[in-house]
Amino acid sequence: MNIAISEDDLVGPLREALVVAAVAGMTGALRVTGDPGGTIHLSDGRVVGIETPGAPGPEVLLLRSRRVSESSWEAAFAAAVATGGPMGAELVTRKLIGSGELEVLLWTAVADAMFVLASGTVDEYRAEPGSVDFVLPLDPGAEADWLLAETSRRLQVLTSLPARHDRDRIVAVSGAERSDVGQDHGEILTLADGRRTPRDLAFALGRGVYATLLQLARMHEAGLLVTASYRAGLVPGGWRPGRVAPGGKPVSADGLPRRTKDPADMSRRAVPWSRSRDLSAPLGLLRPRSRRDGRPGEAP
Amino acid sequence: MAEDKLLAEMQVLRDRVTGITGTAVASRDGLIIREDTGGTDPDNLAALAATALALAQRLATEAGQGILREAAVRSSGGYVAIYAVGTTAVLVVLGDEGLDIARLHRESRSTVDSIEKLLP
Repeated sequence: MNIAISEDDLVGPLREALVVAAVAGMTGALRVTGDPGGTIHLSDGRVVGIETPGAPGPEVLLLRSRRVSESSWEAAFAAAVATGGPMGAELVTRKLIGSGELEVLLWTAVADAMFVLASGTVDEYRAEPGSVDFVLPLDPGAEADWLLAETSRRLQVLTSLPARHDRDRIVAVSGAERSDVGQDHGEILTLADGRRTPRDLAFALGRGVYATLLQLARMHEAGLLVTASYRAGLVPGGWRPGRVAPGGKPVSADGLPRRTKDPADMSRRAVPWSRSRDLSAPLGLLRPRSRRDGRPGEAP
Repeated sequence: MAEDKLLAEMQVLRDRVTGITGTAVASRDGLIIREDTGGTDPDNLAALAATALALAQRLATEAGQGILREAAVRSSGGYVAIYAVGTTAVLVVLGDEGLDIARLHRESRSTVDSIEKLLP
């Protein structure tokens, strides 16, 4: 089933938070509570890294894929701590990874984590300005416009995929011949024991959740895998993109995004996100607002 | 059967917290009661967890920090979290690098209480 989903519907609350943080040129952390929720790290309004239980970060991507060995990582980390220098530079200096390859990996990780955040539920977000605390930050960071557009694109693709990345436990169909399939497929067939969701598989392989989902879809279509069972979520009623408690307005006095769930809205959690205000201005044209103009984040 | 209810409680925790790869319940003297680890040797796990819990409780006492709530082992490849279940048992939670620790803290308490009621 293909539902026409507009970019705004899919990433509403995250879009709101990111746009305001981007316009404010914020440096620090954007804490997103929800399922899976996570932390978006920004520098001058650009996203430099994201931590979420829902997607593997750069360290997991490097170590689990065995691109970098654990002992090499530990040595590089110790050296970076000792010199106070960035971890990324240490990895490149030690020739553990090329700078170009590392940059691609960091972009992949940020896009993947944003996709996972957006496809889950977002209850509230709050900004914590300060220094960036992230082990392998993208430098320069990713612009909000690009990230949101890419996330919407992936969410659109997701609606046609058979398995939900955080809920469906995948199992290899018995009789699926490991010798007949490529090495990539073989690894997944071994790991698909009926306990792991696509997210779990991504962590185990050291690959992105989105890329794993695409591969799983191909294997599903080839009859190699099926869904064995489902994770019962905290919120009943099944997954829907961008599902969030509507209501609540940014109230932070310093112009940085803050959005708090109103307890009265709990009963409305099953309703798909609908914009509570008109954000029809294209992202790039939102201008910074002074406090005299009105509430932060509102369109003129 | 009490054992199935026990497994059901363990599976509820694994469902609710992203990143849990397995759980086990063991007796305080290191014998496995129920395991849902998906591959880790349950007997070794039970023996080690029981010992770790005892040591952790002694550490908490020595540090004058009250009642132990959780003993956690964090490694490059994931987590092991250990909880006392009453005075007779241990809950072991295995998690990968993306374990939702905050959620685990919130959910483990009710799991521990439920398991305690199910054990003799």
